[in-house]
Amino acid sequence: MSGKTVHVEFEGVNKSYDGRKLVVRDLNLRVEEGEFLTLLGPSGSGKTTCLMMLAGFEDPTGGVIRIFGDSVGKVPPRRRNIGMVFQNYALFPHLSVGENLAYPLEVRRIERAGVVERVRRALRLVRLEGFEGRRPGELSGGQQQRVAIARALVFEPRLVLMDEPLGALDRRLREEMQYEIRRIQRTLGVTVVYVTHDQQEAMAMSDRVAVFNRGRIEQVAPPEVLYEEPERGFVATFIGDNNLLFGRVLGVERDICEADTGTDVVKAFLVAPRGVGDRVTLAIRPERVALDPEPGRYSNEFEAQVDDIAFLGDHLRVRLTVCGSTDFVIKIANTVGHGAVLEDDRVRIGFTPLDCRALVPDEEREEG
Amino acid sequence: MGRLLHVAFCAAVFVFLVAPILVIVPLSFNAEPYFTFTDGMLRLDADAWSLRWYEAVAGDGEWRRALVNSLVIGVSATVLATVLGVLAALGLASPAMPGRAVVMSVVISPMVTPVIVAAAGMFFFYSSIGLAQTHLGLILAHAALGTPFVVITVTATLAGFNHDLTRAAASLGAGPWYAFRSVQLPLVLPGIVSGALFAFATSFDEVVTVLFMGGVEQRTVPREMWAGVREQISPAILAVATFLIAFALLLMGLVQWLRGRGSGSEPAARDAATA
Amino acid sequence: MPGVIAEAGRSRLSSSFLRSLKAWLLVLPLLAFIGVTFIVPLGSMLTRSVHAPVVADALPETLALLRSWDAAGLPGEAVYAAAAREIRTARETRTLGQVATRINRLKSGLRGVLSRTARQLRSIGPRPGDHEPERAGQPPDDATPWRDTLLGIDDAWGEADTWLAIRRAGERFTARHYLNALDLTQSVDGGVVAQPPELRIYLPLLGRTLLVSLAITVLCLVLGYPVAYLIAQAPPKRANLLLLLVLVPFWTSLLVRTTSWIVLLQSQGVVNDLLVAAGLLGDEDRLAMIYNMTGTMVAMTHVLLPFMVLPLYSVMRTIPPHYMRAATSLGGTFFQAFRRVYWPQTLPGVGAGSLLVFILAIGYYITPALVGGRTGQLISNMIAYHMQQSLNWGLAAALGGLLLVCVVALYLVFDRLVGVDRMRLG
Ligand SMILES: Nc1ncnc2c1ncn2[C@@H]1O[C@H](COP(=O)(O)OP(=O)(O)OP(=O)(O)O)[C@@H](O)[C@H]1O
Ligand SMILES: [Mg+2]
Repeated sequence: MSGKTVHVEFEGVNKSYDGRKLVVRDLNLRVEEGEFLTLLGPSGSGKTTCLMMLAGFEDPTGGVIRIFGDSVGKVPPRRRNIGMVFQNYALFPHLSVGENLAYPLEVRRIERAGVVERVRRALRLVRLEGFEGRRPGELSGGQQQRVAIARALVFEPRLVLMDEPLGALDRRLREEMQYEIRRIQRTLGVTVVYVTHDQQEAMAMSDRVAVFNRGRIEQVAPPEVLYEEPERGFVATFIGDNNLLFGRVLGVERDICEADTGTDVVKAFLVAPRGVGDRVTLAIRPERVALDPEPGRYSNEFEAQVDDIAFLGDHLRVRLTVCGSTDFVIKIANTVGHGAVLEDDRVRIGFTPLDCRALVPDEEREEG
Repeated sequence: MGRLLHVAFCAAVFVFLVAPILVIVPLSFNAEPYFTFTDGMLRLDADAWSLRWYEAVAGDGEWRRALVNSLVIGVSATVLATVLGVLAALGLASPAMPGRAVVMSVVISPMVTPVIVAAAGMFFFYSSIGLAQTHLGLILAHAALGTPFVVITVTATLAGFNHDLTRAAASLGAGPWYAFRSVQLPLVLPGIVSGALFAFATSFDEVVTVLFMGGVEQRTVPREMWAGVREQISPAILAVATFLIAFALLLMGLVQWLRGRGSGSEPAARDAATA
Repeated sequence: MPGVIAEAGRSRLSSSFLRSLKAWLLVLPLLAFIGVTFIVPLGSMLTRSVHAPVVADALPETLALLRSWDAAGLPGEAVYAAAAREIRTARETRTLGQVATRINRLKSGLRGVLSRTARQLRSIGPRPGDHEPERAGQPPDDATPWRDTLLGIDDAWGEADTWLAIRRAGERFTARHYLNALDLTQSVDGGVVAQPPELRIYLPLLGRTLLVSLAITVLCLVLGYPVAYLIAQAPPKRANLLLLLVLVPFWTSLLVRTTSWIVLLQSQGVVNDLLVAAGLLGDEDRLAMIYNMTGTMVAMTHVLLPFMVLPLYSVMRTIPPHYMRAATSLGGTFFQAFRRVYWPQTLPGVGAGSLLVFILAIGYYITPALVGGRTGQLISNMIAYHMQQSLNWGLAAALGGLLLVCVVALYLVFDRLVGVDRMRLG
């Protein structure tokens, strides 16, 4: 990570619209040049607000935003030279595709020939050659989205912001466009700050993902790290499926702790230092739990009762009562066919302490 | 059966709506000074038809002066009403506008107040400040009566305007004035022009304030029509009426055409948070 | 954290304050304009309906003295002296005519008395004693030369009623015009009584205006509802075309439309000609369809029908057609389905259209004036009459005030039900 230039930096940024509720709280975030960073989070968690502050349409209530090291607090949106793609495209309906793309160039007083050339290049980039003369109303949703992207890129900004640009498209088109956007970003090497509340989209496209929850960043990390090494319960459950168990630390040995969940003692990997008696949240992915393992293979082995089974084709989802949880889900590959387990069966499950992550409970940070 | 009855009923209503207006047109070509179809006209006798009433009107200094008055008053009142109405609509469209409902009722009031009451009040007040029997007085009066139309039309257009477009323009490097001129104005212009046409039509058809406040110098086309219907009834009026019908159809066509163009702006479907 | 929030509070205050300030600055020019060109005129009309300064301005001293008069006997000599002087001044400043008219409204006959008195006072000169040189010198305290003079001119000056009438006419603010407009009168001694039925003019006229407006509203609804339904059910292209047909009269000049009805309906008009030609009518008994209430109703229904169809249509367009289909398919007859399912959903449109038509109808002036003849006049025409012919502006203003109250009340109902800012045009 080091060695690259920091392109965008949020430092201690707060934002409140009404003077009472902070919708963005103490935000610290760095985006490197050429990086594809996604802001991911549930609705109302403050993603758009961050983007709007970066673009200059909203002022932070506190803190500093820097672009290439310079604070942009006093710079109006039009001088920030940031490309923006809006959820509903925001193409100018009274201008043709060509005129839409020429708009930022004309504002910058680029001479005629240069405009034509750049518009053509931008259209080629989004694979819409020959569409100059059409009105936005005469294009499909996907085509309009491509035009919007081309328009945000045609004046060669080094930073592009996209606020749920694929929200209005159907699933097939969305997947295709995810690929397209990624391709274009790689080709041009621009920095992209991308907003979505779709975790799959975030995982598929981003270099790093910043997970937002109630105005705070829970964790910033590459997708695979977020999945494998969530640092908070919120991240653990928001990205993919996870089982959460709640307990207190009985003993610690290097990175591994023993935690009492009330009914059982579970060995888990300590993500953050915890002492004896501290409360912890344990997170175990459903696909990392083995059903009826050879005895002694895992240091975590428990008796469980099967409450419910869902047949999902390539795998089964089995809901269990175990370790004080009545909602413990495991996923087993459908290698033996339907009927491997039955409801009300008593079974054994096992998992390694490395797959069971002991996290600081979310409530504790809220208080701090 | 029921459906047939329904359609027949509606056809009758449409005839009721449109036929009386159309009847005037052929009668205005009557060669005789009558208000009804002569036998000659019905036989399509060329002699029974003539342009004499059009010639009479065109050659009549009073009608010409009336037309000039109507245009001068109408255009001035329209410009005034449009400028003030558009500014106000921009303010009213802002979500930050406090007391919106009250302001709106005040602004709309000239449209629903009986024009006789308005004209009486204007007569009292404008006489007391020396504006009765002046063009300026009538321009102000007509502008007041026309503003509600401008405000209603433009507010409706602005409500359909997607404010992300303005943000998009700013993000592409346009200053506020350039963004307004190149994006917002062209998109709301059809609404503004429609409103202006409504205001003009209102002034061009207004007779009560002219009756109360206008002197001999301010007689407008409807004022002459009024006199024509009340006093020296002559088919010349029908020639003027035909002209006015053509004019009304022109205005109506323009407004419809503008409406078709104005719908270009996409619905503001963004979540309230980003709006 | 509290610091951050306090800071947030401050910045929000200033930015949202600036935003609403900007919005207000944009609205302000129009508000000021409407205020000066429209609201102030209405206010000046309302003022005039209760303000009667003519007599008070012309006879200030007389009235001041009369105020302490007990109304039992005749007023003192000072009153007669002041009255004589001020009547003469009023004649010189040419306001006597107006003064006499006002006073005459309270006690008829006084107009003549006043002008006769003014005429004769001029020949007498500034002081009655001047003509009798033999009685020169200071008159005794109980001498009443002015009273004698005025009594010599007309006996009316010896009646307490005359002075009461002058005193009442001299009130600067008066409910007189409103009483008048409601067919009430105030006797000289101040009691309010209803006019005898045969003298009532305005209440019956107001009643007739409301009744006619209601009838026109119902007519418009009966004619407009099926049409709006047809347009709402039609495919878009055809709906647009039909809507244009509704809009043609909406845009055509009111005077043109009124002229058309005269051309059609007068006794030598197109409709009568057709009926006679078809042999349905003798040439002698042509129908009187215009210059009466029929003419007013027909022409006004024509004028106002678009205002009913347009709001109805805009509501019906939002009702999905499958509602009716579903309802009829459940076994009901068309009318049952209509009454239970469709009609209730169109009520907002019915309310909006009806109120709009009613509001416009009760204030209509031009059409009844041109085609109403003697029997088809409405309250507006009476206002115009008092404005232009009888020149009783106070009464015109009071009638206008009453009409305004009716309209404002209906407007508030309309705003509550429909919302003025949701109004759309053609
Ligand atoms: N202009 C505004 N005025 C007041 N409150 C606002 C405004 N914009 C957003 N908010 C509030 O700020 C919070 C964060 O909103 P924001 O739009 O940033 O969320 P988001 O993460 O983009 O959500 P979504 O996924 O739904 O778009 C929400 O509670 C929202 O109601
Ligand atoms: Mg958002």
